[in-house]
Amino acid sequence: MNTSTNLQGLPGVFEEEVSPEGKLRVSFGPQHPGSGHMRIILTINGDIVEDAIPDVGYVHRGVEKMCEYKTYIQNIPHIERPAIHDSAGTTLPYILATEKLLDLSEKVPERAQYIRMLLAEMNRMINHFYFLGILGIFMGHSTVTTWGMGDRELLIETAAMMTGARVTFSFIVPGGVRTDTPHGFEERLLKSCDYLESRVKTYKDYLLENPFARMRMENVGIIKKEDAIAFGLAGPTLRGSGVKSDVRKDEPYLLYDTVEFDVPSYPEGDAMARTKVHIEEIQQSIAIIRQVVGKMKPGPVKIPLRGQIRGKIGDAYARVEGARGMNSYYIISDGQVYPYRVRVNTADSRNLAIMRRVLQGVRVADVPVVHWSLDYWPVAADR
Amino acid sequence: MKITEFVKGFMISVNTGIQHLFRKRMTTMYPETQNYPTLDMYAYDPRKGIAVSGWRGRHYLDMTKCTGCQLCYIACENISEAIEMVPLPETNYPQNKKKIFPAVDYGRCVFCGFCVDACPFYALYMTPVAELSEYDRNDLYYSPYELSKPPAVNPTPRAKEKIDIKRGVYDER
Repeated sequence: MNTSTNLQGLPGVFEEEVSPEGKLRVSFGPQHPGSGHMRIILTINGDIVEDAIPDVGYVHRGVEKMCEYKTYIQNIPHIERPAIHDSAGTTLPYILATEKLLDLSEKVPERAQYIRMLLAEMNRMINHFYFLGILGIFMGHSTVTTWGMGDRELLIETAAMMTGARVTFSFIVPGGVRTDTPHGFEERLLKSCDYLESRVKTYKDYLLENPFARMRMENVGIIKKEDAIAFGLAGPTLRGSGVKSDVRKDEPYLLYDTVEFDVPSYPEGDAMARTKVHIEEIQQSIAIIRQVVGKMKPGPVKIPLRGQIRGKIGDAYARVEGARGMNSYYIISDGQVYPYRVRVNTADSRNLAIMRRVLQGVRVADVPVVHWSLDYWPVAADR
Repeated sequence: MKITEFVKGFMISVNTGIQHLFRKRMTTMYPETQNYPTLDMYAYDPRKGIAVSGWRGRHYLDMTKCTGCQLCYIACENISEAIEMVPLPETNYPQNKKKIFPAVDYGRCVFCGFCVDACPFYALYMTPVAELSEYDRNDLYYSPYELSKPPAVNPTPRAKEKIDIKRGVYDER
């Protein structure tokens, strides 16, 4: 057995050991519920983490390579699977890039774009409630876990009413969306939004005011503004460090320039600030949904595409603000029915970069809180 | 954290918790009530080019319309390879000269519904039946005859979900 593992590289065979100085090297995961489908190799001195090496790649499934032998439509079901709680935010940049290759970007009907925005914002809320739920269980706060999962259920069923699936919608396709909104959908969506807005206040009172939750999250896992920019972080993690950056504002796609919303950001940069950003974003998503439902007019929702889709020779790039940050796709087409190359870049792999820096100096019990508040999801990062 | 801040925050969160004692239970009793958000079939209109909303569950095959063109099989080919074209020589449908029909393996199907979108003859639908659990893996293979049976209507009542800001989301029965 090779026990002389090098901390700089990733050890293939790993054994827990105590160094002569009394530091313990221990594996956190990959089966631990606080680490997800990855492991963190911690070097612990007493209760303080001195070094933390994220060891990733357990759930790599070769999505980029799989895209090369499937047609543009056949790619949709497997592209959305790595990020199950943000399937619309993951599929959308792929579809936008594909439409650029098909010269369809200008022709997509207005109603289809509004429905895409509705689904994207619903998925953002689904992700953020999921975030709160898992954050609760990582802190040992199981009430928030059940509340987060329960409130998420309401939106999932509303989305299932339109798309026909609970999590993996496969709903956004090149040329528009697959179906029009069913009877009673808007009514139910607005009702859910009213209810969830009252829940946002509950979460603020119960989680952000709670002194025990504050002790667990305040001044834990601090990311400075300069570090956040230098490491190229994305999404709520970036905004939790005081950077007001949002693709919906910086480079509006769909019809995001016609709706008004704020980009919440907090300068503290700790786990609490990131949680606050998530809760504020739920409120902003509700505001966007209300505006979009008011603006929607009856009309076509899809340009029917006959036969096999072939992209023109060239390349296309599209990026959107997914629930966990900027997701971008770069597609090269050589005129065949299959894309020549698909490059997937998710926010999760960006947020992983800073994990080693952030985990140095925290206590062992805070590792799950910091890990989850970074908005890093191993499946979407490994792809 | 100051002690006054601690006590104030503690009181606010305990107060919020106590309010939830008077709310209704969030969960629905699953086997006694069915809680599908929609009970419509997912269908596709090839003339208009768009689909009709519905729950994407078990397929329904209209054997009097299926021509055996294999487009559903081709659509599924690289997604999950769940659809297989099965020869049924004993059938005698005038539109299906090749006498082949699709069979679906639900151990593989991902319920994306692109096979329904591929059918140009209004022959394939998806029904709101998702309870497909079996003891044997081979029982998940549905032959064309099994697919062409209309789905049995679930006799259990549907959950009447009520969304109330004061009392929560609950099943009104």
